[in-house]
Amino acid sequence: MVDLLFYVAALVAVLTAVGVVLARNPVVSVVSLLSCFGSLAVIYLLAGFQFLAAIQILVYGGAIMVLFLFVVMLLNLGGLNPEDEDRDDPLFHDRRRSAGGLAVAVALGSASLIGILRGARHLAEPTNGLVPPEEGFDALPALAEAMFTRYSLPFEAASVLLLATTVGVMVLAKRQRSIPPAGEERS
Amino acid sequence: MSVPTEHLLALAAILFAIGVAGFFTRRNLIVVLMSIELMLNAANLTFVAGSRLHSSTGAVQVDGPIFVIFIIAVAAVEAAVGLALVIALYRQKQTVSLDAFARLED
Repeated sequence: MVDLLFYVAALVAVLTAVGVVLARNPVVSVVSLLSCFGSLAVIYLLAGFQFLAAIQILVYGGAIMVLFLFVVMLLNLGGLNPEDEDRDDPLFHDRRRSAGGLAVAVALGSASLIGILRGARHLAEPTNGLVPPEEGFDALPALAEAMFTRYSLPFEAASVLLLATTVGVMVLAKRQRSIPPAGEERS
Repeated sequence: MSVPTEHLLALAAILFAIGVAGFFTRRNLIVVLMSIELMLNAANLTFVAGSRLHSSTGAVQVDGPIFVIFIIAVAAVEAAVGLALVIALYRQKQTVSLDAFARLED
């Protein structure tokens, strides 16, 4: 039963991922990606990582996708007015570049699939997975302990990265004042 | 869940390939960024599968989930910077089509 749920979630993840790539309307892409992340959260939950499932929903679903949706709305790319100028714009690059990209993707995907399926018999069977969800957040204490002892330096680095990004994004997104070219008198 | 590990890894590989396809073929800059997020999630799924393979009920392998948390943090940073760049570029050209930004000089 639980296994069946995994395969359903996997199917939904793949279908919505294809939807992200094929959708004409960026809003549809965003919502599709959101469902993909939701089904990945279900898979994390089934694998026994409840905390990861929660932050997948909170950070990806709550923060990152809202950011994407916000930008799509801000730039008015939803394609709501049918007489928008780029309705007929091709969705993909010209045929040569698209074929090249698709070939790279197919080669990469099939190579890794072949590698995984050939190497599968060397993989040990997971003893009995992790804790089932109903037994609570068993993995979390170990996770927190490692995060604040062995991984405390990367943790601090991540906080510095977030601070630097906040400043950098504000500089990037600030409306540019018209800066007079060098050598000209500022009036 | 008694799903074999290779099925998790295969799902991750498929998602990654879909992300690569979107990254190389789409013209809309925002969808390209979303394809990158898809690839990062495939990597996360691989970490989860590996961690699940190496843990048992008593002892949890924590390195995988910790890497997933850091990847999510970096993905958030990447999305914020990428979207700020998209907005800056949109101001310049009034479009998010990648073809408009093919030349470095303008």
